[in-house]
Amino acid sequence: MNEIVGIDLGTTNSLIGVMDSGFPVLIADSEGSRLTPSVVHFPEKGDPIAGGPARRMLILEPERTVYSVKRLIGRRSGESEKEDLPFAVKSIDGRMMVDVRGHRLTPEQVSSLVLRKLKADAEQSLGRPVDRAVITVPAYFNDLQRQATKRAGELAGFAVERIINEPTAAALAYGLNRLRDRSKIAVYDLGGGTFDISILELNDGVFRVLSTNGNTRLGGDDIDREFVRLLKERIIGRHPDLRPAVEDRIFLARLREIAHAAKLRLSTEDIVAIEIPFLTGTNSFSYSMTRQELEAIARPIIRRTRSHCIRSLDDAKLDAAKLDEVILVGGVTRMPSVRQFVAEVFQRLPNITQNPDEAVAVGATIQAGVLSGQVQNVVLLDVTPLSLGIETFGGLMNVIIPRNSTIPCKAGEMFTNAVRNQTSMQITVLQGERELAKDNWELGRFELAFEPVPKGVARVGVQFEIDADGILHVLARDTKSGREQTVELSSAVDVADEAVEKMIAESLDNAFADMSERLWTEMVLKSNELIPAVRSALTLVGDQIGPEEVQGIAKLVAEVEAAIEAHSPMRLKKANEELDEGTQHLATLLIDRAMAEAAKRKSAS
Amino acid sequence: MDYFAVLGIPRRPVVPESALQRAYNQKSKLLHPDRAEGSDFSSINEAFQVVSNPAARIQHLLKLEFGEAGDRQIGAELGGLFGMVVEVLQRADQELDALSGQASPLLRALAFQRLDVLRVALDDAEKQIAERQSELQSRIAAVDQIWSQDRARCQKPLAQIAVDLTFVQKWAAQVRERKVRLEELL
Repeated sequence: MNEIVGIDLGTTNSLIGVMDSGFPVLIADSEGSRLTPSVVHFPEKGDPIAGGPARRMLILEPERTVYSVKRLIGRRSGESEKEDLPFAVKSIDGRMMVDVRGHRLTPEQVSSLVLRKLKADAEQSLGRPVDRAVITVPAYFNDLQRQATKRAGELAGFAVERIINEPTAAALAYGLNRLRDRSKIAVYDLGGGTFDISILELNDGVFRVLSTNGNTRLGGDDIDREFVRLLKERIIGRHPDLRPAVEDRIFLARLREIAHAAKLRLSTEDIVAIEIPFLTGTNSFSYSMTRQELEAIARPIIRRTRSHCIRSLDDAKLDAAKLDEVILVGGVTRMPSVRQFVAEVFQRLPNITQNPDEAVAVGATIQAGVLSGQVQNVVLLDVTPLSLGIETFGGLMNVIIPRNSTIPCKAGEMFTNAVRNQTSMQITVLQGERELAKDNWELGRFELAFEPVPKGVARVGVQFEIDADGILHVLARDTKSGREQTVELSSAVDVADEAVEKMIAESLDNAFADMSERLWTEMVLKSNELIPAVRSALTLVGDQIGPEEVQGIAKLVAEVEAAIEAHSPMRLKKANEELDEGTQHLATLLIDRAMAEAAKRKSAS
Repeated sequence: MDYFAVLGIPRRPVVPESALQRAYNQKSKLLHPDRAEGSDFSSINEAFQVVSNPAARIQHLLKLEFGEAGDRQIGAELGGLFGMVVEVLQRADQELDALSGQASPLLRALAFQRLDVLRVALDDAEKQIAERQSELQSRIAAVDQIWSQDRARCQKPLAQIAVDLTFVQKWAAQVRERKVRLEELL
């Protein structure tokens, strides 16, 4: 039997590794790099190219060069926000498709081209064929995203032996040398496009995931986007006539590259000179970007990881203080401000011994070794990140397998006919944590057939099974006939799309009539709440800020009042926003004060 | 299915965590699909989940031994705690809902000051629930003492403990959920 490779299929870069005499080894691609950019270029003529050479085409032919496709994989058009990508993304039959000058590809087809390159380069380097793989996915990927990733692997010619979660893989990389230990660790994984937090217990070679949480749309890409926005503002500020020029696709692609490179450098340097020669004609642009400025734009993005950390600790029934280590992985965790943030949330210095880019691939390779028998005494017990359920009467979600259940797992549910001679029943399968069915991911639907019998007599048992890849299988069993059959979930995207369109149409009908009036009333209400709030905040913590700041706030309040007087919606919107912005510091002081008082009370009691 | 047997541990009210952990790890190394293709590891997971949860474990034990589940009604002495928990949860939901819709940092911060009172109430509820929980745990331990000699005498107390613990665990989870939401708003 052939060996198994481990693959980290990343948003920005992908890696491949193989076990070599008991050690995980990552393989360099034909460009000599272990990090193969997850980029595919579709030239005018000839075959698509992937990896480093494709990445170089990003700024030359952005509309023919596809990247960050992991953000689209396994997603339906109805649920996607507007993605800020330079190549065309179209919704075809409810699926997201990449459209490169008329060539339409699914995201998994694009990913398979990256995987093909990894495969070919590894075969070249090893001198033998590789056709079995372990592929990693973000822990918070749902069933559809996992299935699509598996399909990508199969399209590339791999037998996909296991789909494993990225933070779990990183834990393997960390724990392989500590098999005797007994400890509890958290893995904080902030990559190019996704964020995961997993909490594990390591005990005598058993790596048991206690909980996982995350956001599959949160990562370094978001910081790059904000950085580009900032640069655009600065350019326009200096050259107002360049407003149309900065929206040019090629220019934006260049700007993205510049921002990304500067971001990386600002992890180790305090200030980076950004030079954009020949912006247009002879105009050039130079700007000194400080780490402080970058941190200011990254802060709100990094902060969004906080609630996921809190939730996963709670699900693991652990206090941060009970953890032995917090392991950082993912390129973004090189940013000093991320490290500082993690230290605050978990009340300890994070462990930075793992290579943030490589730990996941190393872990995937170890898992490949476990499956092929080369690695003994290690077993991974992972969980399903999202609750699985069905839609019940009244549009609610009924949970059948709760989130953080160890996989593989199964659960049965019995269904009966609600009326006499009912011949079938439609069941909608959902994944997510929200109470209302419509707020969760719909994985698909299936029909249960009943024999024509009196009400409540039919009995069909349905078994939901989540396998070790985190992928769902449904089995129906008629208790009378004993017949069992696998149920295929049909995607309900057509219906969903129609419903979304209808919803949009309806809301638009009502919207325009009373929008401006309603917005104005809302804004005034907000101001009326905000102004007294400013006063009471100033009495509480006003002594902690300087006289200039007090004056500045007074000016902002005056502007709000003036805008109401003038009955100018645009002006009021801006004034409210500026007052929000200008009182941020006050808000922080208030929260600090409340925290200090709470702490005082705590120690007193 | 006898989950105690599935895990290969003695069938009784008290299961020491270390013994359970050891049994589960052992089974994992033998039966996880990575190790043994086609094995039924789901049942092991199911068994571990039930046995590691005290309320579920006692319910399961009752079914196995006496063919019935726990009582229907919570013990009279839990009535006061129940009323208090319901009230705290309602107040928490109201205040948290009002706050999570708020975008202004300053308004949030001011509302946060009010939440301090709520936080104290939640902490207090959590403390009282935890006391009840540990009291129920020691009742389980007491029953466990006579388990080998007089099993029939264990049925009644276990049936009451099962229902009480089920509710108390649920309240604990509900209060914790509100505390997490509160923490998230910071």
